[in-house]
Amino acid sequence: MKSILSLVLINLVLTVGAVQAAPKLTIHHANGSETLDRAQLEAMPQISLTTQTPYFDGDVAFSGPSVQQLLDRYEVTDDAEVTLRALNNYQVSVEARELRQLGAIVATRMNGKTMSVRNRGPFWVMLPLSERPELDHEDYHRLMIWQLSEIDLD
Amino acid sequence: MTGLAILQRLFSRATIVFFFLLLIGLLGASFVTYLQDRHLQSISLGALRMASWNLAQLGNEASAFDREMALAAVQEGDLDDLLLRYDILWSRYDYLLHSAESAPTRQHQDNERRLGDLFGQLKAMEADLLALTGNDRVASTTLAAQWAAQKEDIEKLVIDNFVGDETGQLMASVESSRDRLSTLRLITFSVLVGLFLYLAVAMVVLRRQARRDPVTGLPNARSLETLKVVNPACVVAAVEINRFQVTLSELGTEVSNALTRRFAEAIRASGLPLENLIQISQSEFLMMAALPRGMTVEDWAEKLCRATTFQWSLEEMVIGVSGILGIDPLDPSGETGWQTRYQRAHRALIQARLDGCRYHINEDSLRRRMQEERVLQQGLVRFLGNGEGTLSLHLVYQPTVRVPDKESVVGVEVLLRCHEQSLGWVPPNRVVDLCERYGLGLELGRWLFSAVAAEAGTLYRDMDFRGSVSINLNPAMLGPTLLDDVQHRLINGGLPGDCLLMEITEDNAALDFRRINEMIDQLHPLGVRFALDDFGTGHSSLEYVRELRVDRIKIDRCFVTGIENSDDRCRFLGSIIAMAQQAYMKCVIEGVENQTQWELTAGFGDVLVQGFYAYRPMPFSDLKALLQANHGELAQEQA
Repeated sequence: MKSILSLVLINLVLTVGAVQAAPKLTIHHANGSETLDRAQLEAMPQISLTTQTPYFDGDVAFSGPSVQQLLDRYEVTDDAEVTLRALNNYQVSVEARELRQLGAIVATRMNGKTMSVRNRGPFWVMLPLSERPELDHEDYHRLMIWQLSEIDLD
Repeated sequence: MTGLAILQRLFSRATIVFFFLLLIGLLGASFVTYLQDRHLQSISLGALRMASWNLAQLGNEASAFDREMALAAVQEGDLDDLLLRYDILWSRYDYLLHSAESAPTRQHQDNERRLGDLFGQLKAMEADLLALTGNDRVASTTLAAQWAAQKEDIEKLVIDNFVGDETGQLMASVESSRDRLSTLRLITFSVLVGLFLYLAVAMVVLRRQARRDPVTGLPNARSLETLKVVNPACVVAAVEINRFQVTLSELGTEVSNALTRRFAEAIRASGLPLENLIQISQSEFLMMAALPRGMTVEDWAEKLCRATTFQWSLEEMVIGVSGILGIDPLDPSGETGWQTRYQRAHRALIQARLDGCRYHINEDSLRRRMQEERVLQQGLVRFLGNGEGTLSLHLVYQPTVRVPDKESVVGVEVLLRCHEQSLGWVPPNRVVDLCERYGLGLELGRWLFSAVAAEAGTLYRDMDFRGSVSINLNPAMLGPTLLDDVQHRLINGGLPGDCLLMEITEDNAALDFRRINEMIDQLHPLGVRFALDDFGTGHSSLEYVRELRVDRIKIDRCFVTGIENSDDRCRFLGSIIAMAQQAYMKCVIEGVENQTQWELTAGFGDVLVQGFYAYRPMPFSDLKALLQANHGELAQEQA
C-alpha cells in the first residue's frame, strides 16, 4: 500500500516536473519580450508535416505553427538575424530571409502527442526534409534545434 | 647521326623496356598507396565531426547538471532547474543511443556499451533525485556518489574519444597518406613529363622520317602531300629505271638498292637545275625543273636520258643502266596541283614504255588517245561480257571470186566492224590490238567464232553454199585451245570443217612458227585450211614462209597498187604468184580495185581475187541476197 502511494507520489511529482519543464517559448523582439505557452502556439494556424529525420527510423508526424508566421507576427524584416536558443544552451543564428524560405515549423507535437524534455520537447524546430530533400544536409540540420526555449528577433 | 639512327635509338628495345618498367613501377606504387590508405576510406570526416560534437554536447550538459547538483548539495539553486538538466541529459543519452544520426558515435570502439551503462546509471538516479524534493538527505548523499562516478565516466568517455590513441593514430596515418599521395603525384608528374617529351621527339622524328626514302634519303611520295603548289613554269618528269625488276629478281635487294642510289646520283649529276627530286618508288623518280634558258623540252629530255644511261661496274659485272622518261612540259593552263602534273608525266612514261622509246612528252593528242582507249576498253569489256553498252561489234563479209568470172563467189572473208557511240567507227585492227593488250584477245576471238557460226552457218544449212569462210585469227587465239574452239564453236556451230579458212598474218605466224605448224597439223584432219595473210609485208624471211604449212597465201594490196601503170610491178606480182603456185599454194590477190587491174590479174591464170572491183564488204543480209541471186551458178571451189 505504501509502495503504491509512493508510486502515485512519484507520478504526481513527475507530472509537476513536466509542467515545470514545459511549455514556454520566450520571444525577444524589438519592443520587448513575449512568452508564449503551448496553448497560445497551438491557437495559431497549425502546419502538419510528416518527414524522415536523422533522429528516428521511418516517418514521423510533427505539427505546430510555421516559423514564417511567427516572424510575420513580430514584423521581422528579411535582413534581421534570428537566433534560436535551446534549454541546453545550444544556439544557432540565421538570417530571417533564409529561415522564411525553409518551410520550418515550431513543432509542439510529435505523432499527435506533446513532447517532454526527455523526448527533446517541448518545442522542436522541424524542416520538411522528405518533401524538400535539398534540405537534408548538415547545413540545415543545425537549424533543427530541439528543446527550443527562446527566439531572439534582432 | 642520321634520322634513321635516331629513330632506331628512340625505339630501341632498351628504351621501350625502360619506359615499360617505369610505368610498371608507377602502377605498383599506386597500388601500394591504395592498399595503405584503404582503411582510411571507411572513415567519414562528417561522422567524425558529428561524434565529436555530440560528445562535446554530452560533456556540456553533464557540466550543467553538475552545477545544479553542486547548488542542490548546499541547499541552493532551484530543484526545477536540476530536474530540467537531468531531463536534458536523459534526452542526450536517448539521442546518442537511439538516433540514426549518432550511429557512428555509438559504433566507435565500445561507446555503445559504455553509453548504455551510463544511461542505466542515470535512470537509476531518478528515484533519489525525486526524493530530493522531499528534502531527503540520505538520497542526496547516495545521489552525489552516483553522480560523481557517472561524471568521471563521462569525462573519461570524452577523453578516450578525442585524445585517445586511436585518434592520434588516425591523424598520423592521414598525414602519412597525404605525404605518400604528394610523393606519388610528383613521381607521376615526372614520368608523364618524361613520356610526353619522349613521344614528342619520337613524333617529330617519325614525321620527318616518314617523308624520306630510307635507301636514297630523298623525299618520298608522302612528301608530295606537303607540296602545295607546283610552279606551272616547271617541267614535271617521271623517270623510271629501265628493267629494274630484272635487276631486283636476278641480283637481289642489296644490288637493286645500290642501283637506285646510283641512279639518283646520275640524275643529280646531269647538271640540270632541279627544283624537286622525289622518289616515288624504288624504281621511279619525280622531278620538277625549270628549263634553262634556250633549252627546249626535247633538249632537256635528251640531256637527262644521256645522264641516266651508263655502264655500272659491279665487282665482276657490268650492268647497262638506262632510264625511261615521261614528261609533262610547261603548263600553259597554269595547273598547279601536283597530282595532275604527276599523272600526266606518268601517262607519258607509260606511253614511252609501250612505244619502246626513251622518252615521251605528254601532249593533248596523247591524252585524247589514252582517253579513247579507256572508253574502248571499257566498252569492249562490257560488250564481250553481256553484249550491252555503248560499243558494239558486228560482222561484214567480203566475197572472194575466181578470175575471170566476177560473179563466181568461191568464198567470203569475215571482217570485224566496231562502232562506239562517242567515237564512231573504230578501225578493226585497233580493236584487235587493244584486246590483245588488255587480255581480251581470247574473248574477242571466241565471240567472233560464235558470231560467224550463228550467221554463216545458215548459208550451209539453208542455201547449200559450199564456198569457204575465212576468219582472221588474232594472236591470242593461236594457243592450245584453238583446236577446241574451232571444233566446238565453228564446226559444231554448223560450219563444215573443209570450208573453214584460218587466216594468220605473216608477223603473227613468225612469232613461233613451229607451234603454228603443230596447230595447222592438228586442224588439217578436220578439213580446216590455213592462209597466210598480208603476204610480203611482214618482217619474216622467206624461209619461214617456206616452212609454214599454209594452204594459201593472200598477196597484199601493195603489190597490186599501180600494176596498171608499171610493167615492172605487174611482172613482180606475176612472179610472186608463180612462186606460190610452184609451192602448191593457191593465191588470193587482195585490193583489186578497177577493171584494168582485174584484167591484168586474170592473165595470171588460176587465181582468186578479193577487192572492191568484185565486191565490197557487205552486211550478212546483202551477202545472202547475193548468193541467192547467184545460186544457179554457184561455183564450187576446188582446193
